[in-house]
Amino acid sequence: MFTIEIIGVWLAVLLTFSIFSYLYDDNPFYKAAEHLFVGVSAGYVAAISFWQQVQPNLFGRLWPQIDPQTELSIFGKAWYFIYDVFGWITSLFGILERGVFPKGGIEGHSDIRIIYVIPFILGIFMLLRLFPKVGWLARWAIAYIVGMASGLRLYAYLNSNVIEQIKASGVDFSADWFTIINKIIILVGTIAGLMYFFFSKEHKGVVGKISRIGIYFLMISFGAHFGFTVMGRISLLIGRIYDLIKFSVAQYYNATFWIMGIMIIILAIWAFKKDKQKQPEVV
Amino acid sequence: MNKFLDLFIKLGSVDRRIIFVLIAVSVTVPLIVSVDKDVRITANSQAVFDTVQELPVNSKVLISFEYGPSTKPEIHPMSLGLVEHIFRNGHKICATALWPDGNFMSTETFNTIAPKLNKKYGIDYVNLGYKPGAEAVIKGIASDIATLYTKDLKDNVLGAIPMMKDIKNINDFDLVISLSAGFPGTMEWVQFACDPNDIPMCSGCTSVQVTEVLPYIENGQVNGVLAGMPGAAEYEQLIREEFTDMDRSSAMALKGMPAQSIAHIVIVLAIALGNITYFIQKNRKK
Repeated sequence: MFTIEIIGVWLAVLLTFSIFSYLYDDNPFYKAAEHLFVGVSAGYVAAISFWQQVQPNLFGRLWPQIDPQTELSIFGKAWYFIYDVFGWITSLFGILERGVFPKGGIEGHSDIRIIYVIPFILGIFMLLRLFPKVGWLARWAIAYIVGMASGLRLYAYLNSNVIEQIKASGVDFSADWFTIINKIIILVGTIAGLMYFFFSKEHKGVVGKISRIGIYFLMISFGAHFGFTVMGRISLLIGRIYDLIKFSVAQYYNATFWIMGIMIIILAIWAFKKDKQKQPEVV
Repeated sequence: MNKFLDLFIKLGSVDRRIIFVLIAVSVTVPLIVSVDKDVRITANSQAVFDTVQELPVNSKVLISFEYGPSTKPEIHPMSLGLVEHIFRNGHKICATALWPDGNFMSTETFNTIAPKLNKKYGIDYVNLGYKPGAEAVIKGIASDIATLYTKDLKDNVLGAIPMMKDIKNINDFDLVISLSAGFPGTMEWVQFACDPNDIPMCSGCTSVQVTEVLPYIENGQVNGVLAGMPGAAEYEQLIREEFTDMDRSSAMALKGMPAQSIAHIVIVLAIALGNITYFIQKNRKK
């Protein structure tokens, strides 16, 4: 019986082998899987971002749910009239259910926060990039994001990655010998590494020698990074192969063997045809 | 001698696809044979275990799921181990996600562990789910969770969840754990939440990220790190030594470690062979 679970398993096996098939050569299986991955990821992120952030935290603050007994001011009535218009449009003029703008406001917040009109407008500006004539308005939104992000990151980065790390580079001579030696190595490595990136003076003499030591430290660091990267990639391969072994049993109708066999045959035919097309015509 | 050197040159210039097959075989065979071996516990994994173990009873732990299916083999065994350890010690968990697919990972983790330990949603754990915004979300959790999250992942209003009544912001947590596969992840939690508010923090991250997290550990900004699959395997072993009723066959990372070791041997041999071939060819050109 082909249940949803079995179909999911067959699809997972097919997509895994499609991606692995790139190791042989760029082929239609790989291309299809790649396009599917990009499309599904983009669609999922867009949908979840809207329902997790834009709808509850932006629209929810602009039009929070109100008690039906509450008497609204003229401004309030006008404000919720706009909301109802949005609700009417997004429900395809009343045909569908009002999901984005439910009747009576959005649950979660209590007061109208009119200041959130600014991010709402900036968000619309961002979408205007799609229209060349007014696309320049998107720069305002981007400028806000860049300014906000750099301001937000500056302090945190300075504190955690610069000041705290400089403090950690100091050598505490009251500690045990192993710690002192370790700290001296870190201090020498930090200074030598920084010297390598100091370009205001030519790397000759003492500066050249220190920056040379810096290169050795950097090489060790790159080596460690490479080793960890290899380990990470092998772990991911183990994960996929573990699943392929799991899905090769009769419970899943031997999905791994069937798909692998069919793909090998199709790829062989594809490679054969490709080679034939490549051969120059004999005059 | 020349024939011997020629053999090296031939071996060094084999089709890359043969190397791929060798790696695939070196990973597949140990997984089929299922070799069960203990791993050596490193100081960083022990530090994570000790931090969780030393928490006072009924502590509140914030776990952030910043990984997805692409890094599941490395981080998911850690999350299963950590959640089980925290639950078994009688603590509460509040989960968040800075990655959209973190929702799947957190849901799967709780669905695996909570029923077998009889833990109740809303009382023993809460899953707040994903919010886009990276650092801004961390800042929001650090200052006031309710302004950011009006509902949890199951669409419950936050005020109606019993566990969330005592939790206002990051200061109400005794430990923060970031299960991270990149940006936003461990580094952002250190910079925007744990460093400014002095909250103890542990990390479980991919192998690729370890070199970026280690300076924080050296400095005491992070208590410990579970480094990739070996870190996960060490944690699985540590909790199984602590709780002897835990089944070793469910330890996914421990199962993967023999394959990891053999694949590494093959890669090291391939690198050595490649270098030998390079030097032989260089000498011949001279």
